[in-house]
Amino acid sequence: MLLGQTIICGILLGGMYALIAIGMTLIMGVMKIINLAHGALVMVGMYVTYICSKNFGIDPYVGMFIAMPALFFLGCLIQKYMINRLVEVDSILPENQVLLTVGIMLVLTETARLLFKSDYRSVTTSYSSDTVFWGGMSISVPLLIGFFIAMLFTFLLHLFLTKTDLGKSIRATAQDRDAAVYMGVNASKITMITFGIGSALAAVGGSLLLPLFYLFPDVGHLFTAKSFIITILGGMGSTMGAAVGGLILGLSESLGATYISMGYKDVVGLVIFILVLLFMPGGFRSLVKR
Amino acid sequence: MKKNRWQILAVVLAVTLVGLLAGGCGGSGSGGGGEDVVKVGVILPLTGSEAMFGEMEKNSFEMAYEELKAAGKTTVGGKEIKLLYEDDQGKQDVAKSATEKLVNQDKVHMLSGGYSSACTNVIAGSAQSMNTPFLIVTGSSDTITQQGWSYVFRGAAAPASKYTIAFWEMMEKVIKPQKVAIIFENTDFGTSSAKGFRDECQKRGINVVFDQPYEHGAIDFKPMLANMRSSNPDMIFATSYVMDASMIVKQMKELNFNTKLFVGNGAGYTMPEFYENAGAASDYVASTTLWVPSVTWPGAGDYFKNYKEKYDKEPDYHGAQAYATMYVIADALGRAAEMNAEGIRQALKETDIDTIMGPIKFEDWAGYTNQNKPNTYVVQWQKGELEVIWPEEVKSADYVYPVPQWTER
Repeated sequence: MLLGQTIICGILLGGMYALIAIGMTLIMGVMKIINLAHGALVMVGMYVTYICSKNFGIDPYVGMFIAMPALFFLGCLIQKYMINRLVEVDSILPENQVLLTVGIMLVLTETARLLFKSDYRSVTTSYSSDTVFWGGMSISVPLLIGFFIAMLFTFLLHLFLTKTDLGKSIRATAQDRDAAVYMGVNASKITMITFGIGSALAAVGGSLLLPLFYLFPDVGHLFTAKSFIITILGGMGSTMGAAVGGLILGLSESLGATYISMGYKDVVGLVIFILVLLFMPGGFRSLVKR
Repeated sequence: MKKNRWQILAVVLAVTLVGLLAGGCGGSGSGGGGEDVVKVGVILPLTGSEAMFGEMEKNSFEMAYEELKAAGKTTVGGKEIKLLYEDDQGKQDVAKSATEKLVNQDKVHMLSGGYSSACTNVIAGSAQSMNTPFLIVTGSSDTITQQGWSYVFRGAAAPASKYTIAFWEMMEKVIKPQKVAIIFENTDFGTSSAKGFRDECQKRGINVVFDQPYEHGAIDFKPMLANMRSSNPDMIFATSYVMDASMIVKQMKELNFNTKLFVGNGAGYTMPEFYENAGAASDYVASTTLWVPSVTWPGAGDYFKNYKEKYDKEPDYHGAQAYATMYVIADALGRAAEMNAEGIRQALKETDIDTIMGPIKFEDWAGYTNQNKPNTYVVQWQKGELEVIWPEEVKSADYVYPVPQWTER
C-alpha cells in the first residue's frame, strides 16, 4: 500500500513536471538556447489564472484557456524583440543568450513583485482537497485531472509536430536551421511561434498546479530547475523524451521521499540526472533511437 | 578597430573617474555625514522566497520609527537616527556582502535585521569580526548566540529550541504522548528546532517513532506523510514555513491521517496565510509562538490594530519582533555614552526595556551570550481563530485535545 501510494504520487506529479518541461525542451530543440526564463513564464501564467479566478471567479481549468493565449503572445514578443536579436547575430556568443534569458527571468519576477508584492497566494476551489480512495491509497482529484490534461496536451503537441505543416517546419528548423531556410521555411517566424507555444505550455502547467500549489513571484525557480533536469534527461529537444523524463523524475523523487528521506528527495533526482549524463549522454531519446 | 580601442579607453577612463569620485564622496560623506546622523543598517530579505517576511519586518520597522519620531526619540545628542535597508535575498553570500557594504562603505554605527537563521549566522559572524554591534530580529538557530560573540545580541527572538518552553509544560500536564513524530524543513532553523525537541524527548523517555527533514517548497508531501502514518504517532511536531505548513496539513486531510495533536513550531503555523490556504484543514492545528496580538504586554494590541489599518494585512510575531527591535535600538542609542561600537555595545548590554514582545534584557545563560529569556505561548486554530491555549493564565480559549478525527469534523 505504501509502495502503491508512492508510485501513484510520483506518476501524477511527474506528468505535471513533464508538461512544464516540454515547453523548455521545444525551445531548446529549435533555438538551441537554454531558456532560463521558463519558470518565470510558468509564474506569469499562474498569475494570469490567479487573477481570472480571484477577480472574475473563473475556474482555474477554464482560466487556463485565457492564460494560454496570453502567454503565447508574451512568448512571441519576447522572442521577436529580444531573443531573435541575439540569435541572428553570429558574433555573439551563445552564453549571452543564457544571460539574456536570466535577465528576462529577473524582469518578469520583479515585475510580478511590483504588481502583487511577495505575498503567498493560492486559489482554493471546491475540489482543491477532494480525494478519491482506491484500495487504501489516496489520490488527489486536482492532481489526477491535472495529470490527464497534461498528458492530453503532450499528445496534442506530438500530433501537431508530426502531422501539421507548421509542426513539420518547426521540426525542420530544429534539425537544421540553415537547410530549413533554403527549403523556404521562414525560420524567424517559426522560432517566434515555437517560443510562443513553449510559453503557452508553461502557462498550462502553471494553471494545472494552481488549485494544488501556491504562488509567489519567485515560484519560477523551482520549475526552471526541474524543467532543465527533465530536458537533459529526455535528450535535448525531444518532446517524448521530456514526457518520459518528467515521469521518471517525479517517480524517483517520490520513491526517494518514501524510502530514503524527504530531505534527500532532490538529491535522488540529481543523482539520476548525473547517471544519465555519464552513461547515456543523449538522454532517454537515445534509447528510442537505437 | 582603432575606433574600438578609443571607445574602450574612454570607458576605462570613465569608470576609473567615477570610481575615484565615488570613493572620494564615500570618504567625505562618512566624515561629514557621520556628524549629524546615526546610521543603523538593517538587513532583511526584501526579494526572494522569504520576501514576504522581509516586507512585514520592514513595514514594522518603519511603523516603530514613525512612532518614535513623533515622540522625539529618533534624535540622540542632536543626531538623527537613520535606517539603511539592505536586501539579503535570503542568500548567505548576499547577506555577507550586504553586511560588509554597510560596515565598510556606509560606516553604520550598528546593524540589525537577520531573517533566516542561515543569513543571520553569516551577518553575526561578519559583524563580530568587524566589531560592529548587531541586534538580531528573527534568526533563531541556537548556535548564533552560542558562539560567545560579544557584539551579537538577540532580544526579540528566542533560540529555536526554546520556542517550546510553554509547550513542554503543556505536554507534561495535558498531552503525555507515548510516541511522537518529528518533521522539519532542512534549514538551520528547522534542524535546530528538531534537535532541541529530539533531545528533550530523549531526556524524558518519549519514543520518537518518525524523524525526517524535508526540502522547503515541495509540491507533494504524501509519500512522507504516508510513511509517517504507518509509524502511528500520538503527536506530530513540525517545523515549516507558511506554505509548506498548509500543504502538509491539507495533504494529511487528503490522506485521512489522524493523530491526537499536530503541533507546529512557530514560523508558518501562526500566519494568516496558513489559514487562508489550508482552510478547514487548519482546524485544531496547534503551534508554539513567541507573540500573539492578544498578549497582555502594553502596546501589543495597538501594534496589531495599527499595522492592519496601515498595510491592510495582519502581522504575526515576525512583525512584532521587528517592531520591538526598533524600540530597543532607539533606547540603546539614546543611552549610549559614546556613539561608537564600544559605546553602543555597552548600552545594548545594559538594556532593560518593556516592549510588545515582553521585557527585553541581554543576559548570558545556559551557554547563550547576550540572549534575552523568551516568553512563549501555545496557540491553536479554532474555527479560523488563533486562540492562546497555554500558559493557562493567559489563555483565550480552552484547548481541544485529543482533536476530532477528520471524518467527524
